[in-house]
Amino acid sequence: MKVKLWGTRGSIPSPGPETIRYGGNTSCVGVTLSDGSMLALDAGTGIRSLGLALAAEPARLHILLTHLHLDHIQGLVFFAPAFRAQTEIVIWGPASPEASLRDRIARYISAPLSPVEVRELPCDVSFRHCPEAEWEIGPARIRAASVAHRGPTLGYRIDDGDSSLAYIPDHEPALGADIDALEEDWISGLGLARNASLLIHDGQYTDAEYPDHIGWGHSSLSHAVSFARRASAGRTLLFHHDPMHTDAQLDALGLAARERWMQAGGAENGMELAAEGTEYELPARAASAASAT
Amino acid sequence: MTQKPLELILARNLMSALSTPAFLVDEGGVLVFYNEAAGMLLGKRFEELGTVGADEWGSLFGPFDEHGNPIPYDELPLVVAVRNGRPAHADFEISSVDGARHRVEVSAFPILTAHGSQGAIAVFWPAGSSNGTGAPR
Repeated sequence: MKVKLWGTRGSIPSPGPETIRYGGNTSCVGVTLSDGSMLALDAGTGIRSLGLALAAEPARLHILLTHLHLDHIQGLVFFAPAFRAQTEIVIWGPASPEASLRDRIARYISAPLSPVEVRELPCDVSFRHCPEAEWEIGPARIRAASVAHRGPTLGYRIDDGDSSLAYIPDHEPALGADIDALEEDWISGLGLARNASLLIHDGQYTDAEYPDHIGWGHSSLSHAVSFARRASAGRTLLFHHDPMHTDAQLDALGLAARERWMQAGGAENGMELAAEGTEYELPARAASAASAT
Repeated sequence: MTQKPLELILARNLMSALSTPAFLVDEGGVLVFYNEAAGMLLGKRFEELGTVGADEWGSLFGPFDEHGNPIPYDELPLVVAVRNGRPAHADFEISSVDGARHRVEVSAFPILTAHGSQGAIAVFWPAGSSNGTGAPR
């Protein structure tokens, strides 16, 4: 399994000279499975670049949405494959008692927010609520589970052969809970992340910032480190960077995260900050770390 | 490891912060948590007791009707909530580990999600209390 980060920013696109290295595009991760089939995790503005990089031939694509906040769907109407009649796109996402996934996404892909409507997309697009049980896409087994965030929100786990990716970009597992003290089955998202080869996890706030953002649905650095430690992930990427954080500030946050991780007994290369454009080849064994290219 | 449903996790987190005694059962009726206030009422912390099977917890602390007779398990508000998916209310007496009897009012409601029932919550109000903590007005 290969993983490429197309957008690592949270909340709102943050382009500019101060965010060049970690990137300004919002959440999108491309996953190439062992048979060559392609998944996109979330459709923030990063999916625009992913779409441009994909070949123009007919293809079947799966987009797995964690939730429908704008920073996770804003790129959908700028995703080039959606405008090719030969492309089949299956969009997966969380169920809601309020409306279907299609109807909720159509609130964005419709006037006055969008120049096109869902029904006008040339591609063959379908919408599916993620099932409770594991399902398959190509050679991969996919699992989705609700995680602690605002509104219906999923995390995903993708197992392909012996490698596994856990993707929980918006997550506040420490809301009203002590991650270090709780039993494992009582920690939001841990069942998805357990022993993953690569864990991509929310790390939006510094510890100093978090107290002013309790209940906003995101993690502090310490909470993300604690969660990764409890999950025993091979390698963890802190993701969903705060739009106010510059590259220099993220460098400092990454250094602090690594120190905290190693103090907790983690491997030297087991924790880093997600940077737009970085690719990872996932190892066959969960115990070893994913390698970046 | 089987992950608890998020709704139970969030319910436990909320209950942990409440000073009102509260109990949580999963979809199978297993008692999976009660908070510190409930522990004070019963005389035993949840951490000392652990999870209790669906057919066991109903008799651990009573409960008893106004004549001192045990109330059938099927009639307990938590059981009605988790089995029937609707709220239930009752008042009865419970017995703490030291043998003391406490009269309480109990409201239970199911935890319903897009994937069906995940369990139920019961909140205990000590009879005569205005704030649910048993503290004087």
